Amino acid sequence: MKRARTVALVVLAAALLAIWAFPVLWALLTSFKTERDVLAYPPTVIFTPTLRNYHDVLFGATSLLPNLLSSVIVAGVSTLLTLLLAIPAAYALARLDFPGKRTSGFYVLATQMLPPVGLIIPYYLVLQKIGGLDTYAGLIVIYLTFSLPFAIWLMVSYFEDIPHEMEEAALLDRAGRLRALWYVILPQARGGIAVTTIFVFLNAWNEFLFAVVLGGNRVRPVTVAMFNFISVEQTLWAKLAAGAMLAMAPVILLGLLAQRHIVKGLTVGAVKGGGRR
Amino acid sequence: MRKAVSDRAFALALFLPALVALIVTTTAPLVYLAWNSAMRIDLSMPWLGGFAGVDNYAKMGADPRFWNSLWLTLIYTVTTVVLQVTLGLSLALLVLRIPRGQAALRVAAILPLVLAPVVVGLFWRTLVLSPDVGLVDVVTRALGLGSHNWLGDPQLALISVIAIHTWQWTPLAFLVFLASLASLPPDVFEAARIDRASAWQRFVHITLPLMRPAIVIVVIMRTMIALSAFAAIFAATGGGPGTATEILNLYAYRTSFSELNLGYGAALAMVLLAITLVVSLLMFRVRRRR
Repeated sequence: MKRARTVALVVLAAALLAIWAFPVLWALLTSFKTERDVLAYPPTVIFTPTLRNYHDVLFGATSLLPNLLSSVIVAGVSTLLTLLLAIPAAYALARLDFPGKRTSGFYVLATQMLPPVGLIIPYYLVLQKIGGLDTYAGLIVIYLTFSLPFAIWLMVSYFEDIPHEMEEAALLDRAGRLRALWYVILPQARGGIAVTTIFVFLNAWNEFLFAVVLGGNRVRPVTVAMFNFISVEQTLWAKLAAGAMLAMAPVILLGLLAQRHIVKGLTVGAVKGGGRR
Repeated sequence: MRKAVSDRAFALALFLPALVALIVTTTAPLVYLAWNSAMRIDLSMPWLGGFAGVDNYAKMGADPRFWNSLWLTLIYTVTTVVLQVTLGLSLALLVLRIPRGQAALRVAAILPLVLAPVVVGLFWRTLVLSPDVGLVDVVTRALGLGSHNWLGDPQLALISVIAIHTWQWTPLAFLVFLASLASLPPDVFEAARIDRASAWQRFVHITLPLMRPAIVIVVIMRTMIALSAFAAIFAATGGGPGTATEILNLYAYRTSFSELNLGYGAALAMVLLAITLVVSLLMFRVRRRR
């Protein structure tokens, strides 16, 4: 009876694995097939792989390279900016005292609740007036909308986990507060900073709504490019798969490499409440 | 006394830049949104622009498409959250019994979570839900259930987008619950087992109450996301067919950027904002109560 149960559980686990991993694995496999192989029925697992699709997608007429570049710039710079603003702010909220601290805490939490569609309308109108549409600066600053509250909130929970004694010891050492922060606290929060960076970058890379409304022909991240790609390249499955793999490669790699960090970050988030994703 | 002042100055210096950034990127635009919702901004008929007062809101009350979007938002949100929580919890409970499979499953669970929702929507639209060649159709035909237009049939479209959302986000509930279950104290369960409590009784009276904080958090998080879900639905159906999957934020988007009626779109967005605020306040109230 126990044996049957274990078998059932293993089958379930295998099914889950298949259901969740299927899209990425399928896309990976298909991206190396020729279009003919893709349409073969029953679907072939053994075939002669080709790099043609990747070549087309990277160097062909509708190359994804400029889009990848856009994504790297927008996601990268906005992540950096977010960290620069969020880490000090989170430290202040977690460890220091200042007038209006409690209200500020609630305010940061509240800004996380805003539905993005409510913000794109004013953003669009304002950026249009100041000529900020389809610019890197515009998009990068606007990405702060969702990155900043989330990053602050996440870092606050990590700073709160650092024992007080560590800070007090650093301050006793006659180190200035800034030095204490830089040389003692931040290294302690390294794990938290890593997790925050990963999540912020992930969200920024995958952003679609802001990118499609506020970007344009010059600044077009991969998410928008993929969206256009599909309507143009309808049934070229192999090419589509290659495009999708390229567009998602950074986040998939990040997910696989930093998998332990991500799971930890998700559960920390769950314990302390809130969060965008 | 001097130190206290300089302490506070230091704290403010650290906090203010972020605060300014937040105000500029979130609060100021909201004020502008509210202002726009009281204006008539129709880019397809720009000569009609001007102050409109509460006209946009009055129009909303009589707009069947608005009420449709509200209803769809309710169904979408409640269904996806309930599915994610029950599936995530059930799967976590079952997987807990297979310690060796857990590592592989955690990796597999991460994959749907890191993909861009727009790509997920596109993927499902082309590969999984296409009539005839899509995965689901191949399966239903093999099972004798026939071929269907999963995204083009108004009845099925909503179910399809709910399935897409649930597929992508259930792993998150799964991972959170798995971690939470793994951290529960074993002695309580031991005591219950000694007391000869059945597995079901152990679940209802010990596991569930101990999991309550995690469940509440997941419900709150997922509700917020469901209310603002956009990219996947947009990619899969665009809000269609017709208005079959047009949840409120999609309606606001289409009104503003497809029909170019930004004033009305702003009003719709304000209503969505109000709903989100009310729901989040209620949920945090529930959370605070234990």
